[in-house]
Amino acid sequence: MDKPYKWTFWKREFTSPILLASGTAGFGLELMEQGFLTGAAAVISKATTLAPREGNPPPRIVETRFGLLNSIGLANPGVDEVLDTLLPQAACLPCPLIINVAGETVEDFPAVIERLEESPVPFGYEVNVSCPNVAAGGIAFGASPEIVERISTLVKSISSRPFSVKLTPNEGSIVESAKAAEEGGADAVTVCNTFLGMKVDWRTGKAPLKRNVGGYSSPALLPLTVARVFKTSEATSIPVLASGGVNRAEDILELLAAGAAMVQVGTWLLRRPDAARELRESMISLLEGSP
Amino acid sequence: MIIEKEEILPGVYRIKFEVPAPYFIEAQPGRFIQLEVSHDPFPVTRRPFTISSVSESSVEIVFEAVGRGTGILAEADAGRSLRLLGPLGSGYRLDPGKWLLIGGGLGAAGFPGLAATVECDLLLLGASSQDKLLTIRETETVTITEDGSSGRKGLITDLLETVHWEAFSSIALCGPIPMMKAVIDMMPVAARAITQVSAEARMGCGWGACEGCSVPKAGGGFLKCCSDGPVFPADSIDWERWEGIH
Repeated sequence: MDKPYKWTFWKREFTSPILLASGTAGFGLELMEQGFLTGAAAVISKATTLAPREGNPPPRIVETRFGLLNSIGLANPGVDEVLDTLLPQAACLPCPLIINVAGETVEDFPAVIERLEESPVPFGYEVNVSCPNVAAGGIAFGASPEIVERISTLVKSISSRPFSVKLTPNEGSIVESAKAAEEGGADAVTVCNTFLGMKVDWRTGKAPLKRNVGGYSSPALLPLTVARVFKTSEATSIPVLASGGVNRAEDILELLAAGAAMVQVGTWLLRRPDAARELRESMISLLEGSP
Repeated sequence: MIIEKEEILPGVYRIKFEVPAPYFIEAQPGRFIQLEVSHDPFPVTRRPFTISSVSESSVEIVFEAVGRGTGILAEADAGRSLRLLGPLGSGYRLDPGKWLLIGGGLGAAGFPGLAATVECDLLLLGASSQDKLLTIRETETVTITEDGSSGRKGLITDLLETVHWEAFSSIALCGPIPMMKAVIDMMPVAARAITQVSAEARMGCGWGACEGCSVPKAGGGFLKCCSDGPVFPADSIDWERWEGIH
């Protein structure tokens, strides 16, 4: 029945517009074992950095009334271990794997990608210039169109594969940063990363997160993502990968209607590991007009 | 689906879920489930609960209604269906020989299944008062409470002075982190080496992907509570750092 539904992204045809957002699916291996990758067009990996990072001190997750604050801090085993162990295993994923890349300096991004080019596994890259949970790099990069363009140009010069630049909603103009990414040669932009958030216990005056602030995600953020997807897709001609607030099939269709090429599911995947299958099925039934 | 619910102590509930056979019967003690406590999107994440006991077609949890998730669950009645994910994580290494179980408060919630599986020779249970003291059936139990309402008056560590550590080949420990740290500090090195700890942490995915539920690892770095544990050898944890978190 759903044969006619196709989404083309980076010259490849997919039967689903759903991408599993970075940090919520690992490298897809555990989900694959349980058969939970059905319905996902691609998995976007946990951020990979040049050196291993142990991540931020716990607690790393704090729930708020209507969402989730995280402060993971790009915990990952580093690009060597990713190349030696994770990517060979990920070669048998039933869908493509996009590697999310983070760095503390501008030069870190091409350096990590140069290494990843050694592997045949990645379908493309997502360049994370917007992590709210690290001292160096992170938001500061994404907020500056000049730095976004410079990183994009450097990545373009070294990468044989397409890449998306994951932008921040927290500082600067996301539209200007998207235009800068396109100017630098990016093949997509991810709109966007988590919103800077904080929780404080009014009794003690203390924040539960050790770095005080963290990345906020919630189904309630959907309209903020829709607005940013709409504005960036109007201002650029590269695909916009929507990310933020999706927990229903209607949300995916809304983001696609607002200009997204593909739609990421993140926090909701923590709640429903089989979210991709569930969301795709109900999306197809909506498209077919059946209940 | 919830098939039984009972308030076993004030604010402490035992809930039995019907689950499809045979997914849970072979879940070793110490593993956990995650529940979507609400059909609403909020609270967003599932809540982890240690498995208290299992049968061919059911799984039981015991919890105290202390926060938002457990509060909602405490209101749920028999007949209600909830999404349940599990069994998750890895449980106790079930070595033969005599076991000593040490529990603090609701930390003993996972002990019924363990006590029924291993040769449990002695169970030491501590709590603030009788109101928070779980009963583990058919197990030789010594209790202590801070207010003296059950057993001796004092802390769990007061019971340790007379323990013949060398009589046991395995020790299971579960409770609040400061309580577990105090117990660990009082143990002889040899006892520590045979102790398995059931840990808890604020958890995201429950299956190793999100790196949310870190427990400080001895020698540096972090363990993932959900997939490396939740049961860990006591010696694999950096107790100073772990206690410092809370």
